[in-house]
Amino acid sequence: MLLPPTNARIVARRAEIVAALREIVPDGVVADESGLATFDSDALSAYHQMPLVCVLPSNRQQVSEILKYAQAEGIPIVPRGSGTSLSGGALPREDGILIGMGRMKRILEIDYENGCVTVEPGVTNLNITKAVEANGFYYAPDPSSQVACSIGGNVAENSGGLHCLKYGLTTNNLLGVTFVLPGGEIVTIGGKCGAQGGLDLLGLITGSEGLLGVVVEVVVKILRKPPVTRTLMASFDTVTAAGACVAAVIADGVVPAAMEFMDGRAAEAIESYNQPGYPLGSAAILIVDADGVEADVSHAISRVTEIVTQCGGKAVEATDEKQRARIWSGRKAAFAAMGKLAPDMICMDGTIPRHALPFVLDEMAKLSEKYELGFCNVFHAGDGNLHPLIIFDIMKPGEFERAEAFGADILRLCVKVGGVLSGEHGVGVEKRDLMTDMFTPEELALQGRVKCAFDVQGLFNPGKVFPTLSACVEQGHIHVHGAQLPHPHLPRF
Amino acid sequence: MEKIASEAQAVEFVRAAREAKAPFEIVAGGTRRQVGKPMADLPRLDVSGLSGIVKYEPAELIITAAPSTALTEITSVLAEKGQRLGFDPADWSRLLGSNGVATLGGAASADASGSGRLRHGAARDSLLAFRGVNGQGEAFRGGAKVVKNVTGFDLPKLVCGAYGSLCVLTELTFRVFPKPPLAVTLCLADVEPEAGFAALRKIALSALEPAGLAYLPAMMMPGVGPQIGQGAALIKLEGARQPLEEKIALAHGLLGQSVQRIEDDPFPAIASGEKFADVPGHVWRVMVAPADAPRVAKELNAQHWLGDWAGSLIWLAAAPADASRVRAIAAAAKGQAMLLRGSPDARAALGLYAPQAPALAGLSRAVKAAFDPLSLFNPGRLV
Repeated sequence: MLLPPTNARIVARRAEIVAALREIVPDGVVADESGLATFDSDALSAYHQMPLVCVLPSNRQQVSEILKYAQAEGIPIVPRGSGTSLSGGALPREDGILIGMGRMKRILEIDYENGCVTVEPGVTNLNITKAVEANGFYYAPDPSSQVACSIGGNVAENSGGLHCLKYGLTTNNLLGVTFVLPGGEIVTIGGKCGAQGGLDLLGLITGSEGLLGVVVEVVVKILRKPPVTRTLMASFDTVTAAGACVAAVIADGVVPAAMEFMDGRAAEAIESYNQPGYPLGSAAILIVDADGVEADVSHAISRVTEIVTQCGGKAVEATDEKQRARIWSGRKAAFAAMGKLAPDMICMDGTIPRHALPFVLDEMAKLSEKYELGFCNVFHAGDGNLHPLIIFDIMKPGEFERAEAFGADILRLCVKVGGVLSGEHGVGVEKRDLMTDMFTPEELALQGRVKCAFDVQGLFNPGKVFPTLSACVEQGHIHVHGAQLPHPHLPRF
Repeated sequence: MEKIASEAQAVEFVRAAREAKAPFEIVAGGTRRQVGKPMADLPRLDVSGLSGIVKYEPAELIITAAPSTALTEITSVLAEKGQRLGFDPADWSRLLGSNGVATLGGAASADASGSGRLRHGAARDSLLAFRGVNGQGEAFRGGAKVVKNVTGFDLPKLVCGAYGSLCVLTELTFRVFPKPPLAVTLCLADVEPEAGFAALRKIALSALEPAGLAYLPAMMMPGVGPQIGQGAALIKLEGARQPLEEKIALAHGLLGQSVQRIEDDPFPAIASGEKFADVPGHVWRVMVAPADAPRVAKELNAQHWLGDWAGSLIWLAAAPADASRVRAIAAAAKGQAMLLRGSPDARAALGLYAPQAPALAGLSRAVKAAFDPLSLFNPGRLV
């Protein structure tokens, strides 16, 4: 992965830059080596880079001052939330200021009358739900890393989760943001009224991967918890039958709250990891959540049960809340469990049209034979969002290279069937060089001009999302060695 | 006026316009031409030939159509398979006195969302992908025909509500959803705005997934009879028979009383603005936080008004002299007042929305320039 060259003149001015930032944020500048080491990577652990300096502002004025200073001095900026990005979005630069938003973590207002919450960007996703759940509300997007990932990071990545099949991504649950532009201006876009009075800049900022500015305040919708939620687990003798079942459920018009797929290998690894009670010996398992009023949920559960049977599967319903929680805890621990299965793995993230599921599953099996590498599948089937995990051993010569080629072929397969490179992890540095497989040069140039509309000097998160002209063939992935993740305790995808 | 019927022709037309540095107005059905700042006397590009459903995949819950496809065609094709468009498009043609045909591209470009926005989101929430021609005369795509995608900037959001200021659209892909077999409207009659909106918010913040929540003063519901009293809170619920009965019972529980059902669906006439078609003056859509609706409605003090989206959208008719007052009330409530119907002079003076803060206005212009550097497309209408 080739990143824009380091500006040695900026690196040489390090002491002066650190001093200037201390003027702005006296208690929040990290400049010592051991302190900076904490920030040298996000969750895409194959990539490490110590930042020039890390600054941790505690209010929006400080953010504005930092950005004004950086722009005046021509210093690159890398924004960072909790550092849980799986695509390298927060990978620092040797010549760049890493601006960490973790200290801005106040919940500013809970407004039940209007069904919304206003927070600073460092508040974790789960803490929004925790703040309102006693009153029967929750925040719908639920990325698996929700105990740690921040809402500012969710906005930057347009994060999804297990339940976005019914409730949408971050962008569909966001009412407004306060945003600091690269020049330091503070703008408020949208708000409780749900309108912007012009172009949908809120929609553009959401998912912009830190390329356009820094989010300093977020207004999100909260929803009433559904009165009834029921969970079904279905097992199948073939992976293809499970894929066909997913397509049949969607085609039937049932909208489950979540529909998750895992193949037999993944299910067995998870079962041995935290014993959620998955049936062993199946080729594939589906977990389906239905929520809403009682009659709607009953209808959905019985329809899904019928379709599972028609597709040759066996369906079992969770009998109580405890069993539901266990089934989901297994799913959320999938990544950690897989880490026990093999010395190394990489995780992909593409989306395909749902009718293409059986075909893509077959093709992936063929690629597995071609590259002589094992893989398993755990993914958000209802959305067609795949997370194939490729298993390899970095100690065996050539395996890492084969694994990377296998992964790139999977993403190309996704694009070939009309899908995309990333369903929810973002492009970051990980899939940057595959962007040319999905977009024409004109399309990439247009997106580049949109970035310039915000960031004339190109100082924000350089080297992320868009391939440089001198693109290197190497592609990065989430690389896990010996089951060691950057945040090993965190549930994933 | 030049007429095009394909993306290739759109490319050719834009390239020629670029060469000549000649801006133009994009027109399909023409029903929304009278919205936004008037654009002098520009040549028109007639895109009504870009019509027809390209691919409808009921099993994938996706439909791809050319932008000038009539909304009625889309709706009926989807209904045959028991489905509906991902958003609830509003047809304003009667309000705006147009005989044209409301199109899918027009509804998306105006982000014209009806009462169902409450539950289903706006056009921007269900537009997955589009194709268009930018100001360089290049055909391009935004988004992808899958339901979950974070690859690159989310351009479909931008083209919704852009009023044709960014590109010539040539194809749109929307999510579709199963259409609930039944719908019923409950009517909480004889309530003042304060109590009526409070009841609507209670339902909005429940798990009943209402399809429409509006408050209408009595004079906006002629013909319903004297039992409406001061006004009515209308609650539209959807579902199969059994879930619907359950939702109705839960709604009665939340309201603390049993309320009457209305036979005919009153929401289409609310969303289209046709209740204001024969009322003189400006017609505004004022968007505020829902809990502010009673206060804002009182301050606006309009004779003809109603509140949709549980209060978040207040429609009103007002005399031209009241324009700055309407804008000031919306601004004080941190809301937006959109001038939907007004004379060309009024629209030129007031714009579609109040002027943005300088930094935001600059950003909007820069984003338009990224797509359309010579400002060829609908210049000044929105940006």
